[in-house]
Amino acid sequence: MRRRFGAVQAVDGVDLELQAGEIHALVGENGAGKSTLAAIAYGAVRADEGTVEAVGVVGLVHQHFKLIDRLRVWENVLLNREPRKGWTIDVPAARARVRELGERYGLAVDPDALVETLPVGIKQRVELLRELDREPSVLLLDEPTASLAPAEIASFFTTVQGLAARGTAVMVVTHKLAEVIAYSQAVTVMRHGRVVARHRTADTSAEEIAREMVGGELPPLAERAATAPRPLLELHALSAQSGGSLLAEATFSVGAGEIVGVAGVEGNGQSALVDAIAGLAPFTGELSFDGDALRADETPAARLARGIRVIPQDRLHEALVLDWTVRDNVALGRQRSLPLAKFDAAAREVIERFDVRPPNPDAIVGALSGGNQQKIVVGRTLLSAPRLLIAYQPTRGIDIGAAALVQSRLIEARNAGVGVLLISFELDEIFACADRVLVIAGGRFVGAFDRAGIDRGRIGALMAGQR
Amino acid sequence: MKAALRSRGARDLLIVLVLVFGVGSLAMLLAHVSPIDGFSALFDGAFGTKEEIAETLVQTTNLLFPALGIAIAFRAGLFNIGAEGQLILGGFAAGWVGAEFPLPGILAIPMVLLAGFVAGGIWGAIPGFMRARFGANEVIATLMLNVVAVLLATYLVTGPLMQAGGGAQETAILPKAAQLGDLMVDSRLTWAFPLALVAAFVLRWLLQRTIFGYELRAAGEAPEAAKRAGIDLGRTALVAMALSGAMAGLGGATIVAGVLHRFNVGLSPGYGFIGIAVALVGNLDPLWICLAALGFGILQSGGIAMQAEAEVPKQVVSLVTGLVIIALAGRRVVAARRTT
Amino acid sequence: MNGSLAAIVGLLALTLVKATPLIYAALGGVLSERSGVVNIGLEGILIAGAFTGVVVSGATGSPLLGALAGVIAGALLAALLAYAATRLAVDQIVAGTGLNIAALAAAAFGLVLVYHQPGASREVPALGQRGEDVLIVLALVAAVALHVVLARTPWGLRVRACGEDPGAAESAGIDALRTRFTAVVIGGAIAALGGVFLSLAELDLYSDGMTAGRGFIALAAVIFGRWTPLGATGAAIFFGFFAALQFSLQRAGVPSEVMQALPYLAALIALAGFAGRVRAPKSDGVPYVRP
Repeated sequence: MRRRFGAVQAVDGVDLELQAGEIHALVGENGAGKSTLAAIAYGAVRADEGTVEAVGVVGLVHQHFKLIDRLRVWENVLLNREPRKGWTIDVPAARARVRELGERYGLAVDPDALVETLPVGIKQRVELLRELDREPSVLLLDEPTASLAPAEIASFFTTVQGLAARGTAVMVVTHKLAEVIAYSQAVTVMRHGRVVARHRTADTSAEEIAREMVGGELPPLAERAATAPRPLLELHALSAQSGGSLLAEATFSVGAGEIVGVAGVEGNGQSALVDAIAGLAPFTGELSFDGDALRADETPAARLARGIRVIPQDRLHEALVLDWTVRDNVALGRQRSLPLAKFDAAAREVIERFDVRPPNPDAIVGALSGGNQQKIVVGRTLLSAPRLLIAYQPTRGIDIGAAALVQSRLIEARNAGVGVLLISFELDEIFACADRVLVIAGGRFVGAFDRAGIDRGRIGALMAGQR
Repeated sequence: MKAALRSRGARDLLIVLVLVFGVGSLAMLLAHVSPIDGFSALFDGAFGTKEEIAETLVQTTNLLFPALGIAIAFRAGLFNIGAEGQLILGGFAAGWVGAEFPLPGILAIPMVLLAGFVAGGIWGAIPGFMRARFGANEVIATLMLNVVAVLLATYLVTGPLMQAGGGAQETAILPKAAQLGDLMVDSRLTWAFPLALVAAFVLRWLLQRTIFGYELRAAGEAPEAAKRAGIDLGRTALVAMALSGAMAGLGGATIVAGVLHRFNVGLSPGYGFIGIAVALVGNLDPLWICLAALGFGILQSGGIAMQAEAEVPKQVVSLVTGLVIIALAGRRVVAARRTT
Repeated sequence: MNGSLAAIVGLLALTLVKATPLIYAALGGVLSERSGVVNIGLEGILIAGAFTGVVVSGATGSPLLGALAGVIAGALLAALLAYAATRLAVDQIVAGTGLNIAALAAAAFGLVLVYHQPGASREVPALGQRGEDVLIVLALVAAVALHVVLARTPWGLRVRACGEDPGAAESAGIDALRTRFTAVVIGGAIAALGGVFLSLAELDLYSDGMTAGRGFIALAAVIFGRWTPLGATGAAIFFGFFAALQFSLQRAGVPSEVMQALPYLAALIALAGFAGRVRAPKSDGVPYVRP
């Protein structure tokens, strides 16, 4: 199968076979073509070349849920397949069907609940139920555990194993090797749109798969220098709310010259924390920077002026103007302090120091790859003399090479005395970079660990809400 | 990317030409007039004689001011449908201030123009404020204020400020000092025309070469990113709407000071709405808008002649204008909606 | 005592008469926006309905045929907007504005063409008092019907899904573009009845500018009514009440311009007060482009 998206050959000559009753893992780093392949197999995207053959119905559970927040659970599950009574919808029958499906697969949900009120793990159940209602013989799951806590992940895979036991062919698209080893029977590794390896899971190891995913060894990160952090940002009983994200009574500090990592599952208050520090959301409690108490009604511009910088989690909507040039995007955030005449020099500095490709200040940012876009965001932030840097998912959706460069630069900034608050949903990233690790769950900080005392199991339990 | 824009620009221009000549011809045929007669009457009326060219430039000027204002709002991510109301109130302010407070020579004209600029600016700032403070949709707000503006001006001019002996809804004649000087004898063309061109250049400079323009464009194209870059979205909306209204108000003032020498409620045949088409055809760039204004100016002045000479109702021009707006509505779609 | 009771009843009746075109237009707007397409062109559709109704009634002698023609004209105009919004994915607000300008011009052009005089048409066979009453009742029935359709029928669920998240709807197998198109066209047909009411029921002719911005007031009613059929109808009746008050207050010496401005000022105040507390359908106004 082949499929191009513009100048990128997303899927190149791929052959894939899924067996009934088996869990087949499709792995690869970001941009390897896994999601595209899944979409082709489902039928949402057409391949340029090649064929898809399936016996029975193919279901796909998307990475980003395709649920309609303001509708009810039964409306989402049975959308376009509603049971009818004359001209209207037979609502009691719809509710009954949802309950019946829930019982059969162990995925109970309240049929009348509004989807927007549900926590992420339950939302995923609704998404699953929607596909299961179609009684698929093949089920594709795209990054299904991205938003789940470790305990929820175990329960999710129990469900999946149950499905496989009934004869469904299951394919899980993922980059989490621990889950691949634990739950799958077959593995296919993709890189740059091609299949580079196939294994029976029992015959291989996480290290081997990782090497195949990257095509070699992982690039090393920058050296950590010895530093003597003194408190720079201090939170005391800080509570905040931003959109749907809630933070309660956070108390910790970030020192100049250290990286504090915040480990947690997506949707547990991280956005409220970031927005409160950035000046985008009001807060109660105490927040002080370099000894000065920060007022809750201070503007983002005032926070920027103090040297507080944020690398937002959504570069496409929150950090870049896609139609503008690299030059104009580099100036974004510094436009009040950087004279127009210096825009060009600043852009060239970022391009050079952060290996942005193509190295052209006039290039339109929307045409660049995700990795290069993120390098621009990180580069312009680090070169703007930050004193405190909040990095929120700084390597989301970018290739391993760019991710390693970003992480190295964060460590270098830490070495030079910048205080870094690293918020990430990838535990490996936090463990690689942080001096201290804090754990956030349900909007509260529930644990703190020094680098030397990192306990993966304990952290996982805390993230899931266990004490 | 630039190449894609160029070819899309060429395609859009083609669409405009097809609408003008295609739909225009169709309408002319319905009116039992041959398109050849109709269009030659139109273009002859637009630049047949020196006086007719001057009139075309008058129409161009009247369109250019509100179009520039609408473009500023668009660039800031806002839609100002209220340019017509802002123009009318600007004209009223100019007419009233000019007649009530006569000033010596050199000061009279700037004061009159300033009055229009400020009045339009205030009328534009109201929906801007509502948007900044309450998040109210500026489209509905400007639509409502359009009607209120006409009613307000009508009330003021027929009621407390009515001219003695007037059946017409207008203010007193402006003193000579407050009237814009003619650029050409026996025409309505005044210094308003070069003023409009200067305004276009100033606005372009403002947008491309100042931090104010940088922040305005950022707010329009990527509001979330702009917010995090320290840009105050509410303030930007307010200032952009005020500036937008001020440009339309200034346009009204030049009509009063230059063409009519007094304010009349009917001073605009819809310049504020045609201005939307002009802004879109000009791709929201002040310099290209000058050319677009000329194009529509030709249609406006030619249309009047076409009605008189070839008996084709001049509403054909408005019809085509409306269709052009529909066809070019794609130009407004801000790229920030892309989610690649 | 009898006099003031009669006055109140008269006021209520006048309120309904004034509200009916608003109700039709607002219902059309609600259906369109629930599917995700903002229809600023309601004013133009009212004009199309009013004008076409008169012309066809005059030509055929049948006001019923005129009404039917008006509805079809409204649907066609809405189809133009729907096409631009769905297949061409243009900015819906701008396109709607263009529609209004074009419709007003087309009607004025048509007046000269058909009646050889600008400004107003000749009198034509009209629907009369009976027809007026039927249309008023029909408006209220339509409001309830639309409520039921949106809340309880499969098609209504699909429309709501497209208005919230067309991408999600498509992943469930719904053709979001076609659903939006249909909703907008049906909405246009409903709205056009408001225009027909103005020209063939309340009066018996078409005159330039007779719609007087009702299409815009209807938009405000949609927002007031939180994008629901019953809410928008309530808001339309509220605005109709203000219009009905006009005559009485004018007799009391209030300048006519103030009266005419009342609905618009009311809408502005509500916009400032309500905005932020009400939520439009999530994808309202956002063009959907298939990836």
